[in-house]
Amino acid sequence: MTATCERAVERLFFAAAFVSAFVTLFIFGFMVYYGLPLFSGGRFLAILTSHWAPHQGSFGIYPMIVGTLAISLLAMVFAFPLSMGCAILISVVSRGRLSRILRKVVEVMTGIPTVVYGFVGIFLLIPLVRNVFDAGSGMCVLSASLMLAVLVSPTMILFFCDSFDRVPRSYGHAVLALGGTRIQHFLHVTLPCAWPGIIVAVTMALGRAVGDTLIALMLAGNAVQAPDSVFDSARTLTSHIALVFAADNESLEFKAIFACGVSLYLFTTILVLMIRLAARARGKVGQVG
Amino acid sequence: MGRLVERIIVLFSWLSGAILLSVICAVTGYLCFKGLKTIGPALIFGSTDPMSALLLRQRVFDGLFPAMAGTLLLVLMSVGWAIPLGTAAGIYLAEYAGVKTKKIFDLLFDLLAGLPSIVIGLFGFSLTLFLNRHVSKELHPCLLLSSIALAFLILPYIIRTTQIALENLPMHNRLTGLAMGATRMQNLVHVLLPQALAGMVSGILLAIGRCAEDTAVIMLTGVVASAGVPRSVLSHYEALPFYIFYISSQYANQQELATGYGAAILLLFICLLLFGLAFVIKKNLPCQVFSQR
Amino acid sequence: MPPSIPPIIQSSVKIRVSNLSFSYNGREILRDTSVAFPEHAITAIVGPSGSGKSTFLMTLNRLWEELPRCTMSGRVEMLLNGVHQNIYAPDCGMEALRRRVAMVFQMPNPLPMSIFKNVAFPLQLAGEKDKRTIRRRVEETLRDVRLWDEVKDRLAGSALSLSGGQQQRMCMARAMILRPEILLLDEPASSLDQKAAEAIEQLLVRWKHHCTILIVSHYLDQVKRIADNVVELRDGQLRIR
Repeated sequence: MTATCERAVERLFFAAAFVSAFVTLFIFGFMVYYGLPLFSGGRFLAILTSHWAPHQGSFGIYPMIVGTLAISLLAMVFAFPLSMGCAILISVVSRGRLSRILRKVVEVMTGIPTVVYGFVGIFLLIPLVRNVFDAGSGMCVLSASLMLAVLVSPTMILFFCDSFDRVPRSYGHAVLALGGTRIQHFLHVTLPCAWPGIIVAVTMALGRAVGDTLIALMLAGNAVQAPDSVFDSARTLTSHIALVFAADNESLEFKAIFACGVSLYLFTTILVLMIRLAARARGKVGQVG
Repeated sequence: MGRLVERIIVLFSWLSGAILLSVICAVTGYLCFKGLKTIGPALIFGSTDPMSALLLRQRVFDGLFPAMAGTLLLVLMSVGWAIPLGTAAGIYLAEYAGVKTKKIFDLLFDLLAGLPSIVIGLFGFSLTLFLNRHVSKELHPCLLLSSIALAFLILPYIIRTTQIALENLPMHNRLTGLAMGATRMQNLVHVLLPQALAGMVSGILLAIGRCAEDTAVIMLTGVVASAGVPRSVLSHYEALPFYIFYISSQYANQQELATGYGAAILLLFICLLLFGLAFVIKKNLPCQVFSQR
Repeated sequence: MPPSIPPIIQSSVKIRVSNLSFSYNGREILRDTSVAFPEHAITAIVGPSGSGKSTFLMTLNRLWEELPRCTMSGRVEMLLNGVHQNIYAPDCGMEALRRRVAMVFQMPNPLPMSIFKNVAFPLQLAGEKDKRTIRRRVEETLRDVRLWDEVKDRLAGSALSLSGGQQQRMCMARAMILRPEILLLDEPASSLDQKAAEAIEQLLVRWKHHCTILIVSHYLDQVKRIADNVVELRDGQLRIR
């Protein structure tokens, strides 16, 4: 193969990387362009904080932002302890075969389609919530958060386990040699060393929870209101896009979904930057070992 | 006090494990309980003769065949876009990019991987609007545009798995070919890629799984509840995940709902199959034998 | 004033290193050092571990350029194909250089392919298409490293199934199949047992008549047995002992 050919192929590889990277920025540009009338003259902030009342000419996405935060944060409240418990079970408490089987089950869970969770949620979880809490239709923040917690937990568990396993074994021998138990070792050695990994996992899971469309769309009831309690119906930014995109292309109502898109994009950017910061700290912890 | 805390932690971990396992059992068990009896040729072909449905002589109205065909075409097309682009970009990142370039690309691909799929869908939708206005009035949300949007969804996965598969090859392995006078391309083609292949393929299988299960992107770019088997890449189409979503709120009778359960089992099965396949391929990585030393 | 380079022995110089500085990961390994290596001789490179002996070898076939975070300055000239060449000159082809200056690593590094393909690989990389030539050269080279009789019935088998000593001899065959003028060896016997190590030493002694050999070694007895000259790397300087 000649040198010119080598260079040509290298350029081709670069072009592919460049196109892929460019698309990332292009997506942002496209959304800003389409939502343009809403973004000019400082109106973006106003949209974020005002209410949704299309008939009165108000296209604020504030209720959707509150709905998104409520559902995803509540999901994290359920998912974090559950994941931490499972990760401790897999990495610390159980051993050998049981640990391997549990890990496998969790891995398989990451492969279950979101829509399947949503589908089962409608017919199994919603009636349950309705009957247990006597909560209207049962389509509410709580139902969506519970299902979302199940959706994001497996990834979080695997990441926790990975962070625990990365802490060098030699650290542990010191504690165990002093007569410490495995749990003591975990609390005093593993956990302090693994915290950057835990932050990365939680941030990633939060991103997943905020970005997920189907669970909230199917289970949260989609009422445009800032929910007051966990039994209120709510609409997320993602569901809002899915519900309104078919509106008249020229209307401001339609333009407002690009405000949702831009908000989600910016939120993702912040999370990715946070993950990178935490991951850098994680790398440093690894280096010490 | 220490003993008590320890007891509580152990108890809590067992409890979490039990909750997770019972949830997964409830989800799969409920699906199977409700849907297993629908599994059969009738689920896919309805009352139509399977042969004439497969040969597209007759349209299937009461079965999953059009949705399955739509999903299959969609996956094939998306992967067809994403594999060449993603592998090439991954190779560039792993083998050619300088430190600074790599940092910038890394950040952008992390961002692309983190974008909610509905945002990618919205991009696909606005792209359609744009093309409709400026290129051809004939362009509407369709299979082609869906596949392009989906390709962007899975692109970061393919880039990352390619990059990681190559970068994880041990250094001495990389130097072996070069020390014999191989050019970078020869080294890549003859030494590195064959060893990274298993990792790359398992990444692609996972990407296919994502394609098959994604609903948000296609919802905005051309999937519909009833379209039959797509006649061209510019037409509407049906897809399994969307069918499940649609049925969950719009079912007219118990029979349709039963088909929904069947579809959910089918999709679950397909995704787990791909997942298992990816796992098996990755486990048999040839380079593991090589790097055992 | 340029530093004078003392002649090692009375024979023509094959490699001349002048004012070489090298740093890796911000750590200086070589500091403005110069040395010359004679033709058709075995030169052992010794020194404390971690002093950068392996890295020094890589400056002679430019392999360090594949490692991250390395910087180098200085000149390396070689007598290749009867011509004096500056190997860092822009017109010096890197691949061509590495075909003339072969290298054997510390750990046997068979590629995950068959024994035959491993040995034939450099020929194929160099563009040799003729099947018969390849076969002939592979057999010739494997006989040369005394491996032919052990592997002739399993040439299509995986190279990974060979023992450590066999693997290293196969790697040496692979390095020699292009008939290089210079052979760089980085502690080739350190992972092998006594017997396998001796087999490799015997090969080197035989090869020095048509090849210039540089070997990094830890073992003083090995150095004593086979080396014609000894160069020590200490504190960033290469000195003849």
